[in-house]
Amino acid sequence: MRESVAAAASAVTALVGDRASGWDLAGRLPEDVVRELGAAGRLAAQIPARHGGAGWSSAESGEFTAHVGSLCGSLRSVMTSQGMAAWTVERLGDPAQAAELLPRLAAGGTAAVAFSEPQAGSDLSAIATTVTVEGDGVLLSGRKKWVTAAAYADVLLVVARMGEDGAVVVVPRSAPGVEVRRVADPLGCRAAGHADVRFDGVRLPLDSLLGGGRQPLPLLVTTALAYGRISVAWGCVGILRACVTAAAEHARTRRQFGRPLAEHQLVARQLADLWTAEQIATRACEYASRCWDENAPDVATAVVLAKYVGAGHAAKGAAAAVRVLASAGARDGHVVARAYRDAQLMRIIEGSDEMCQLILADQALGRR
Amino acid sequence: MTTSSDRPVPDHVGDPGAVETDLLRFLGKRTGRIWTADADVFGSGGLSSLFAMELVVHLERTYGIAVRGSDLRMDNFRTARRMAALVGRLRGAAGDGAGA
Repeated sequence: MRESVAAAASAVTALVGDRASGWDLAGRLPEDVVRELGAAGRLAAQIPARHGGAGWSSAESGEFTAHVGSLCGSLRSVMTSQGMAAWTVERLGDPAQAAELLPRLAAGGTAAVAFSEPQAGSDLSAIATTVTVEGDGVLLSGRKKWVTAAAYADVLLVVARMGEDGAVVVVPRSAPGVEVRRVADPLGCRAAGHADVRFDGVRLPLDSLLGGGRQPLPLLVTTALAYGRISVAWGCVGILRACVTAAAEHARTRRQFGRPLAEHQLVARQLADLWTAEQIATRACEYASRCWDENAPDVATAVVLAKYVGAGHAAKGAAAAVRVLASAGARDGHVVARAYRDAQLMRIIEGSDEMCQLILADQALGRR
Repeated sequence: MTTSSDRPVPDHVGDPGAVETDLLRFLGKRTGRIWTADADVFGSGGLSSLFAMELVVHLERTYGIAVRGSDLRMDNFRTARRMAALVGRLRGAAGDGAGA
């Protein structure tokens, strides 16, 4: 398995080439890049082999996610969305739904998961999108915001209110009443296909409800986000690795005051802190992935910790890299400029720093 | 998270009373509170969604079951007794594809 992860990493390095900065500037990924990665089963490599996926462990998938994240935060974001969609189907869907949907997601079909709404960001209990059973089908209405990768998705998994409970609804993007509108000029992960989506009385068959719906909304959200959080955390490791590489290379080769930057102690300290940030984020992710692979009960907390540690260190590390590269990295599209902006988005999505802090404070207080 | 059907499963898993006792011990250990079999675990002032996921994973890991899809309804998790009943039902169904 390790060999196949290494081979996949080489293949994606070749696929991306030197194009990530152009994608960032254009705010688009080429559709064929997304499809090629998807068709190879690499957008969601943890889909079990029995459903046609690569069946990688979280540790393996995490290393690959970090690698893609070091190349292009937008492509990594698309992977996070796809993986989260697959995980949500695996977990919340019935066996027949998993058998129908997962092979598609392992073979080039694309998906995104819609949580946030105009009035429901951190407070997902305020979700107002509603699904009701109407005759032999369901009716979905509402508005979602900032749905990562929605612009590339064939299928949207929509978290909705269903009576007193919740439901995840599988919605083909082509269904009548679905309108996807790209978010213009996102701060970070600019080519990740963020979009606002309207569902205007969308009629769907009854089996569009994963597991029949009527599951507790907080449990749905926490379950789906668990994958998103660990994937974002590994993506932050990728941001940090890209910054270490760029900053070290620049500090070795750029000379000022008669010697390489790396021999100036104030610069060396930036490098030390940046490398330390990468190591800390990696260890937190490795622990969370071990919990995931061992099905450890505290996995939900471990992924919040990894995401919080990863995003915070990515933001600090990217800022350090910008200091080291200075004018050499101070243009949009440059790897450290992308890292700097992308990291800020990582501190917001899948639970902001502040929401993570509340969860981690509960841990400190022994509250469950 | 892989399903855990290949894990060793305690001998008493067929006994709902024993599952209930185990669950009450787990709840007590993780929450620092004493629970009765019929106490509403997730009612007002109850436990967080993070803990709900922890419970699901605990059940899967301890009893070699997969709790998926329609089994994730709150009715199955409201009390230790109901969780024990869910475990019993899924253990019984484990032979016919519940691990999928």
